[in-house]
Amino acid sequence: MIQFSDLVSFSSLMSTLGTATIVILAGLGCLMTEQAGMMNIGLDGMITASAFAAGVVSWLTGSWILGLLAGLLTGLLLGLFYAVMVVPLKSDEFVIGVTLNLFLVALSTFLYRNLPPAADGLHLDMGSGMAIPSISFGGNAGAAVSVSILVPVSLALVAVCQAFLYSTRHGFWLRAAGEKPESLRSVGRSPDRMKLVASLLCGAFCGLSGAYLLNYVHSFTEGISGSRGYVAVACVIFGRSNPLLVTCAALFFGLVDTVSTRLQVAGVVDSTLTAAFPYVGTILMMLVLAIRNEYRKAGQAKSALERQEAVK
Amino acid sequence: MKWRERGIYMLSLLISILLGLGVGALLMLATGHDPIAGYRAMIEGALGDKWAPDTILRNSGLGNTLYRASLLMITGLATAVASDAGLFNVGGQGQMLLGALVAAFLGAQMTTLLPFTAGWPVWLITAVCLIAAVLAGMIFALIPALMKIKLNISEVVTTILLNSVALYFCTYMANGPLKAPGKGSQTAVILGDLNFTRFFTPSNLSQAVFIVAGITLLVWYIMNRSSWGYEMRMTGQNSRFAKFSGLKDGKLAVAGMLISGAMCGAVGMLEVFGWKHRYGVDLSTDFYWDGMLVAMIMRYKPLGIILMSFFFGILKAGAIKIQSSAGIPIEIIQVIQSIIIFFMAAEQGLIQRFQVWRARRHPRREEVKRA
Repeated sequence: MIQFSDLVSFSSLMSTLGTATIVILAGLGCLMTEQAGMMNIGLDGMITASAFAAGVVSWLTGSWILGLLAGLLTGLLLGLFYAVMVVPLKSDEFVIGVTLNLFLVALSTFLYRNLPPAADGLHLDMGSGMAIPSISFGGNAGAAVSVSILVPVSLALVAVCQAFLYSTRHGFWLRAAGEKPESLRSVGRSPDRMKLVASLLCGAFCGLSGAYLLNYVHSFTEGISGSRGYVAVACVIFGRSNPLLVTCAALFFGLVDTVSTRLQVAGVVDSTLTAAFPYVGTILMMLVLAIRNEYRKAGQAKSALERQEAVK
Repeated sequence: MKWRERGIYMLSLLISILLGLGVGALLMLATGHDPIAGYRAMIEGALGDKWAPDTILRNSGLGNTLYRASLLMITGLATAVASDAGLFNVGGQGQMLLGALVAAFLGAQMTTLLPFTAGWPVWLITAVCLIAAVLAGMIFALIPALMKIKLNISEVVTTILLNSVALYFCTYMANGPLKAPGKGSQTAVILGDLNFTRFFTPSNLSQAVFIVAGITLLVWYIMNRSSWGYEMRMTGQNSRFAKFSGLKDGKLAVAGMLISGAMCGAVGMLEVFGWKHRYGVDLSTDFYWDGMLVAMIMRYKPLGIILMSFFFGILKAGAIKIQSSAGIPIEIIQVIQSIIIFFMAAEQGLIQRFQVWRARRHPRREEVKRA
C-alpha cells in the first residue's frame, strides 16, 4: 500500500521543483511576449535549440559557464528573429511560432546527428560538460537532495519579473504595448520597441531554460524538451500571464507529474491518464472564468438598467 | 491588378522554394555532405528510381509521394474550412487520434460486441467505422467551437490543450482498457477483411487515397460552389457584414469547425484502415502541423493547397531516401520546409518594405505613376 508521505515528502517536493524549473523559466519568457500582445508558441523549439547550443559549447570547452552563455545567446538570437519576423515584417505570430518549433527541433537533431561519434561508437554525451553546481539539502530520510543553483536563481527571477512588470515604468509600457498600443504611442513610446524587448526577454529565458534542461537531463537526446514548451504555454494561460500565478501553475503541473510517476511506480493508476488532468483543469478553469465574466457583465447591465429606472 | 498580385505571389513562392533548397544545400555542404547527391536521392525517392531492381520498388516512391500529398491535402483543407468560417482549428491532431482510436476499436470488436453485425458486408462495416470516426472528430471539435462562440474563449488555446488531452487519453486506452495482449501499447488488429488494398506495397498508398480525393472534391464544392460555403466564407471574412446581411455567424462558424473536425476524424480512420491496421501509440499525427502550414502559406485557397501538397509530398517522401541512400539525416527536409515557410510568412511584409524603400529612393517615379 502506498503511503501518503511517499507522495508528499521533502524529496518529492524537491523533485517537483527540479522539473518545474524548466517550465517556470520558459513560462517567464512566454508571459513577457503574451503581456506585450504576442503569442509565442515557439518555446519548445527555442528550448531545444538552446539546450543543443549549451551542450556543444560546454562539451567543446568543458565549462558550464560558457555553455550557459551559449544557451542564453542562442535564446536571445531566436528572440530577435521572432521579433523581426513578427513586428517589422508583420508575419503571423502563430505561423512563426509553429514553424520555429518544427524548424529548431529538426535543425538541432540534424546537427546532432552530424556530430562525430564518440570513441565507443555511441553518440556523444554532451551533458557531461554541463555540470552546473548544485546545492544539497538533508532530506527527511537522511538522503541528501540536491538541486542545481539555477533553481533558486529562477525563483528569484520570478520575483524580479513580477516587480518589473507591475512596479516599473518599463514593465508598465510593456503591458501597455499589448493591451493598448495606441495609448502607449500617444505618450511617445514605441509599442514595437517594447515588443522587441519582450521578445528578447522571452528568448533569454528560453535560453536559460534550455541550458538548465540539458543539465537536468544530463545528455542531449532527440526530443529532449518532452513538449515542456507547450506545457509552459498552457501554464501561462492558466496563470493569466502573471509571473507568480504562472509559477504556481508550473509547480502544479510538476507536482501532478511527480505524484503520477510515483503512483505509477506503486501500480495504483496509469500515469498517462493523470498526465491529462492539468490540461483538462486548464480548460475547465478558462470555462469557469469566462462564465463568471458573463455573469458579471449581465449583473452590471442589470444594475445599470435599474439605476436608469430609478432616475426616471 | 488581381493577376498582377497573383503573379507576384507565385514569383515569391518560387523564390522562397529556391531559397529554401539553397539554404538546405549550404547546410549539407557545411556538414560535409554532397547536396547534389542529396537532392538526387530525394527526387529518386519521391518520383521513382530508374535503376531500381523491379517495378514495384520503382513505383513505391511515387506511392509514398501520393500518400503524403493526400494527407497534407486533407489536413490543409480541414484547416482552411475552419478558418474560412472564422475559426482556427489547431486541434486536428487530437481529432485524428480519437478518430483512429474509435475506428480501430470498432474495426476489431464490432462484430463480437454486436453479434447481429457479424453478417454485414465489409463495405457496411467500413462505413460504420468511418462514420463513428467522423463523429468522434466532430464531437472533439465541437467543444472548442462552442467555447469560442458562447464565451469567446480563444479556440487556438483550447484546441492546443485538447490535443494533449486526446493524446494522453488515447495512450491510456491503448495501454489499458483496449490493450491487445502482448508487448507494445496498441489495440487489437482490425478484422482482416476490412484492410484497404495497398498499391505499390512498400509504400503506404492504399484505397484510402480515393476516399481522400472524394472528401477533397466534396469540400471544395461546398466551400466554393454552394451558397452555404459562400455564407461561411462571408462570416469568416467579415462577421459584422454577414450579421447585418441576416446570417447567424455563430452557427456557420461552428459548422466550419465541425466539418474540419469530421475531416480530421476521417483521416484517423483512414490511417488505421489504410496501413496501420490497429491503433498504437506510435501513430504519428505530426503531419497535421505540416498540412496546416501548407494551408496558411497558400492563404487557405483550396486549389493552391492541393498543388502545394504535391510539392511538400515530394519533399516528405524523398526524405527517407535522402537518409538511406545519401546518408543525410532525414531532418534536413523539415529544415528546408521551415525555411520556405519563414520566407512565405514574411513575404507580404518584405514586399511592403521594399515598396516603401523604392518610393523613398525614387520619389519622382512614384509620383509619375500616380499621375
